[in-house]
Order: sequence, then C-alpha cells, then structure tokens
Amino acid sequence: MSLYTNRKRKSVITMMLCYGAAALGLSVLVIILATLIFMGARGINLDVFTQMTPPPGSTGGGLLNPIVGSLFMTGLGVAIGTPIGILAGTYLAEYGRHSRLSTIIRFLNDILLSAPSIVIGLFTYQILVAPVGHFSGFAGAVSLAILVIPVVVRTTENMLMLVPNPLREAASAMGMPRSLVIKNVAYKAAQAGMITGVLLAIARVSGETAPLLFTALNNQFMSTNMSAPMASLPAVIFQFALSPYVEWQQLAWTGALIITAAVLALSIGARALSSKRT
Amino acid sequence: MAATDTSTVDTASRAKALDRLKLGDTIFKNLTFLSALTVLLILGGVLISLMHGAWPAFREFGFFGFIAGESWNPVTEKFGALAPIYGTIIASFIALLIAAPVGIGIAIFLTELCPMSLRRPVGIAIELLAGIPSIIYGIWGLFFFAPFLQVYVQPALIKTFGSVPVLSTLFSGVPYGIGLLTASLILAIMVLPFITSIARDVFETVPPVLKESAYGMGCTTWEVVRNVVLPYTRTGVIGGMMLGLGRALGETMAVTFVIGNAHKVSASLLAPATTISATIANEFTEAVGDIYTSSLIALALILFIITFMVLSAARFMLMRLEKQKGA
Amino acid sequence: MLTMPLPKTATKVKVSINNLKFFYGSSIALKGINLELNEREVTAFIGPSGCGKSTLLRVLNRMYDLYPNQRAEGEVLLDGENILSPKQDLNLLRSRIGMVFQKPTPFPMSIYDNIAFGIKLYEKISKSEMDGRVEAALKRGALWNEVKDKLSDNGLSLSGGQQQRLCIARTVAIKPEVILFDEPCSALDPVSTAKVEETIDELRTDYTIAIVTHNMQQAARVSQKTAFMYLGELMEFDDTQKIFTSPSNKRTQDYITGRFG
Repeated sequence: MSLYTNRKRKSVITMMLCYGAAALGLSVLVIILATLIFMGARGINLDVFTQMTPPPGSTGGGLLNPIVGSLFMTGLGVAIGTPIGILAGTYLAEYGRHSRLSTIIRFLNDILLSAPSIVIGLFTYQILVAPVGHFSGFAGAVSLAILVIPVVVRTTENMLMLVPNPLREAASAMGMPRSLVIKNVAYKAAQAGMITGVLLAIARVSGETAPLLFTALNNQFMSTNMSAPMASLPAVIFQFALSPYVEWQQLAWTGALIITAAVLALSIGARALSSKRT
Repeated sequence: MAATDTSTVDTASRAKALDRLKLGDTIFKNLTFLSALTVLLILGGVLISLMHGAWPAFREFGFFGFIAGESWNPVTEKFGALAPIYGTIIASFIALLIAAPVGIGIAIFLTELCPMSLRRPVGIAIELLAGIPSIIYGIWGLFFFAPFLQVYVQPALIKTFGSVPVLSTLFSGVPYGIGLLTASLILAIMVLPFITSIARDVFETVPPVLKESAYGMGCTTWEVVRNVVLPYTRTGVIGGMMLGLGRALGETMAVTFVIGNAHKVSASLLAPATTISATIANEFTEAVGDIYTSSLIALALILFIITFMVLSAARFMLMRLEKQKGA
Repeated sequence: MLTMPLPKTATKVKVSINNLKFFYGSSIALKGINLELNEREVTAFIGPSGCGKSTLLRVLNRMYDLYPNQRAEGEVLLDGENILSPKQDLNLLRSRIGMVFQKPTPFPMSIYDNIAFGIKLYEKISKSEMDGRVEAALKRGALWNEVKDKLSDNGLSLSGGQQQRLCIARTVAIKPEVILFDEPCSALDPVSTAKVEETIDELRTDYTIAIVTHNMQQAARVSQKTAFMYLGELMEFDDTQKIFTSPSNKRTQDYITGRFG
C-alpha cells in the first residue's frame, strides 16, 4: 500500500508543479500588461496623437510622426509582402504540392519565419540603404515585407491544404482553368483563414523594431516621404526609453501601450475570425 | 423546359472562350512560381549579402581570429566576436533551461489537468504572450524587472551562494539589475509561449487510446505523462525547444535593453554582457569605418548561421513527428 | 421504366473505350477495358469496391490529370477523337463531359453564382439571358421551386439532397454532351435519392450518361446498359435487363444476388 501512496504523492507533487507553471505563465502576462497600462495610461492624452515628438529635455509633444510613420511603413510592407506571400503559398499548396522544390521552399520558409529580424534588417540595409547612401521609409517597408512573407506563405498554404480536394475536382470537372479554380473556389473556401494569416502578419511587423533601426532609421519631424528617413513607434520607443529624460521615457511607455493595444487587438481579432469559421 | 436549355454550345466557340483565359492562367501560374522562388531568393540573398559584407572583417582578422578574438575596440579598430557569441549562447541556454520545464509544465496542465472550459482561454492567453512585440519586453525589463531583480533577487543570490564554490563565481559582483542573468530571464519569458504552444500541440497528437490504456492499468497522471505522453512526443518536444532556442538566439530588442552592452566575457551571470544582436542594434548606425561595419555584419552572419542550424534541426524533428502522425 | 433495347443500328456511339489500361504509380487499376457508351442512354457501372469503376469514370474526363503518377494507356474516343491524346485541351474536354461527385460540392458562393459561374466561362451573355439560363438549369436539376426565392443564399446553406441537385444543375448549365455520375446518391437520404434518380432519368433525353453506383437497385432503376467490373476488368456488359435477370457470367450473378461484394 505504501508503494501506491508513494506513487500517488509523486503524481500530486508533479501535477502541482504543472499548476504552478501555468500560474507563473499567466501571472507574467498579467504583470506585463498591468505595468504597461499603469505606466502608459498616465501619458495618454490628445497631444500624443496630434503633436510631434519633442526635442530633448522639453516637455509636451506627442507621437504623431512615429504613429504616421509606423502606419505608412507597415501598410506598404504588408502591401508588398501579402501578395507575394499569398502567391507563394498558393504555389506550395496547389501547383507544386507534390514537387521536390516545394519541400525545399516549405522548409526554408519555416526557417525564414523564425530568422532573427535584425539580420533581415541588415540585409535590407545592404541592398537598399548602402547603395543609395541614405536611410529611407521605403527600405523600412521592404524589411517589414520580408518579415510578412513567411507568415502569409505559411497560413495561406495551410488554409489551402484544408480545402477539400473534391471541391477542386468539381470545379475542374466544369472545365474551369486551374487559375480560376484557385481564385474563385479555393480562395473563397479558405478566405477566413487567409485573412487571419494577414492580420497575424500585421500584428507581427507592427511591433518590429530591429529591422527599422538600420533601414528607416528615425526622424524627429513629420515625414511621409518614403525615400527619406522615417520615424516609427518602435524606433522612438527604443530611443526615448534609453534616454535620460523623464518626458521621453513617459512617451516611450505611452507608445509601448499603443503598440501593444494595437497588436493584441489584431491578434484577438484574427483568432475570433478563424474560430468563427469552424 | 426553356428552349435555350437543350440547344448545344458548339465546341469551336467554347475553345475560343477557353483560349481567352489561357494567357491569364499561364501568367497566374508563373506568378505563383516566381513568388515561391522569392522565398529562396530572400534566403540566398541574405546569405550572400552578409558574406559579402563580412568579407573585409574576416580578411583582416581571419575567420578563427575573429570568432575567438576577445577585444572589441572601435578606436584601435580591433574586433573579435568572442564576447557577443558567448553572451548570445549563454543567455539563450539559460533562457531555455528555465523556459523548457515551465513550458512543458504548462502544456501538461493544458492537456491533462485543465478543465475543458478553461483550456481555450488559457491557451490563447499564453499565445498572446508570444504576440507582444519584443520591445515591450525590453522596456518592461528595463524599468520594472531589472530594478526588481536588483533590489530583491540579486542581493539574495549573492548572499545565498556567496560561500558555495562555483556558484559563488556565477553570482559574484555588484547587483546592477541589468546583466546576463536579467537578459536570460527576459528571454525565458519570451520563448515560453513558443515552447508551450508547440508542446501542447504535440501532446495533443498522442492517441487518446494510448493514454486511456495506461490509466486503465491504474497509472497516475504523472506516470501517464512520464511513460506514455513524453516518450511518444519526445521528438516534437525537442523540436519545439530548439525552435524556442532559435528565437532566443536571434532576439534583439528585449535583450538590448537589459544586458548592459559590455564587450566582456565574465564568469559572473550578474555582470553586464552583450549578445550579437544587441551589439548590432546598439552600434551599427554609429559605426564608422569599413572594418567596424564589416565586423558587425560578420557578427550577423555568424548569428544567421547559428540560428539556421538550430532552426533546421528543429524543423527536421517536427517534420519527423508530422510524418509519424501521418503514417 | 425499361424499354426494349433498340437495335444497334439505331443508337449512336458517343464514347468508345478501347483497350484502356490505368496505372496508379506502378500498380494497375484497369486491365484493358473495351466498352461503348451510347448517346441518350444511361450506362451503369457496378462492382465491388476497388473494382476500378470510379477510376474508369475519372479517365473519361481525365480527372486523374490533376494528380501526379497516374496515367492511362489505350484509347478513349469521344465522337471519334482520342481524348487521351496529350494534345487534348483538358478544359475543353471537361466542358463537354460534365461530372457529378459522390459528395455534394457546392462552391462557397451564392446559389445563383454556383450556376452562373460555369456559364460565364464559355459564354458572354446579358443579365436577363443569364437569369433565364440559371432558371432553366435549376429546373432541370428539379431544384427551382425550392430555391427560387433565395437565389442569393449561399449554396452551402442547402440540405445535402438539394446541394447535390444544385451540382447537377450546375453541370447541366454549361451544356455538356456527356454527364458522369460518381455514386451521386451515396451521401443522400432515400427521398433525395429518388429525386436525383428522377432527374437522371429525365436528363437521358438529351445527354449520354454514365453512372457509378454501389446500389444495384439504383442501377436497375436508372440505366439501360450495365457494366459489371471486377478487379480492374470488365466482366460483363449488356442491357441492364439482361444483366439483372439472366447474367451470363457466374461472378456477375454472385454479385447481383448479394453473394459477395
């Protein structure tokens, strides 16, 4: 009987540890969000959304130029990356599903998915900044596009794989050319999942900092010129948080709260969309 | 029946209609193919451009000279990668050491213990942790977590292990707050959701009948996990851990805030250190001179190769599990 | 329902299959089939699972071309033209030979678009003409009365039987010459099955029809000719009446009397 008690005790102890692990994970999430809300909400006011970033040491000012810059670069990055990602995912799931090349691309895409974003930033610097001699919002957008592509490729492929084959056969059986089968039938059936993928990609890149540091750099002033350096929320947070000025640090917290709220809203929205489908 | 219904469409006009679609069909097919090739192109481009950029540094210091060089001096233009490589590997390793058991524990909780109604919300909450941008972890780590460690944890560590051999070296020095240990802990928090969600996914591949037959023999929950679930999913769990490691190795912003950016190989975990990505993030835009820039790109190349190898290994393991599942 | 088979000279051969072999990779699924499908007749294919009847159907519109490692040898003549020739335009072929599948496969779009979509591929017609065509097709599929007030609803919102009739209407709408049915009723309830069978019988007046079925009563009900297949070979092919009353092959007899299969 003691053997049984012993076994049972061991199980109870390890399971308690598992409960503890879950509690730890959740409390970290809660603590991070609580700190962020506590520190960030203090600085939220209309100025944040209407004023430019202040010069060092001065009070007031806001985050208008980095918010606009972030929207521009994320928007352009997603606009470049999404079609490429969807088309590439389409190749993997439709035309090249069984080919050897697809296996290789699938594998490398998964690597790209988790590749360090700072390396992508340096790569973009090498091809788009160094040759022209100056930083640009366009280069920032391209580096974000490179991060968008693997996410969209992956979700597009997965979602198209879930489209039942009889549906494709039925469309082909009507004499529909393959491209129309894909565009009008497979895409329609996979729509919700594919949109989810794009939303997740937006969520991922909108908080990216590292690649922007060497591509768009930063800009203290309002600029919508894609061929000039451009401010972005993450880059400003990086600069301001590490500065010695309390006002800048406060703006960094506020910016962090804005980004996190946007990213969480995007990922929750994406999840809601994909769960509605099933 | 409408009269039009039985009329036939002649084959020639149909062929013509289809011919009109042919061009678009071919264009679309080729576009998908080219886009797929873009993925290869990007990865190849990254490798080539980094090698090209790193070349001057390797020529100057020699490949092994660069990797093993300890000094990092922009004034004398002498650069060695040892300190950042050391920091990267140690920080990631400690992060994994902490995150792996916790992540697996959460996954066990989610698949075996958690009430059905809570599984989805808790799972989603953990995944949301993965979605938080790394710069948020950075700013949180700098202003909240590091001071907390400095005041409450690090002095206790120094006091507790001060007289224990080996450990006293690991925990020696002044409690700065920021440093290698703090970076490792932040990294652990960051990779935790990746490891958790992969471990949960692979645990769910265990056929229920296997678990049921073990429970049927009177096994406790722990025994079922230990003897059925873990052996069955070993490859997948290791793959998930490697994926987490890959993430940790390349993570930049969170680390940059809290590691202290000191180009030193120090035995103490409390001392400031640096990682490859933090070095690049801090110094790249301010680097003057070709050798300096090239050395930073060389660091990026080394990082890329390390993560590539780790991530490849992870994918191979996860792919093997998928095959096993499919068979 | 069965009429006396007409003398051979009065019927026109639409599809002629000569020494057809089919391979999945290196395994052979059809071992030299010879068979003719007559115009305005329903030909049923019966036989135990894996006998190759569905494979045969999928050769007729070259559905197998969607997958690698599947290939056919021999000759399939549609109006005297070999459709297995590599020069055959597959989309054109499939516009002439329609197919209805085992499970209903409505496209994820409105009922109206499900029908209009195929027509638009081949013909440029006005909106009012299109309305007429959609209505005619849905009537042919015996679905019009049930859906005429909800044409903009999603095709997936229909019941299984309705979905299958939508698929038939969709196939008819593009005016094929031959229609293939691959166990069209295996996922349907008896009432829907009766409706689909009725529809098939009506379609016979205009089309050449081939139907694969597991259900021997169904074959007896809807077809004029029946082919019994076994392990990739055609065991017996004759008038349906003859097959079900006095089969000449021992295996056919065993199968239709339920001794195996």
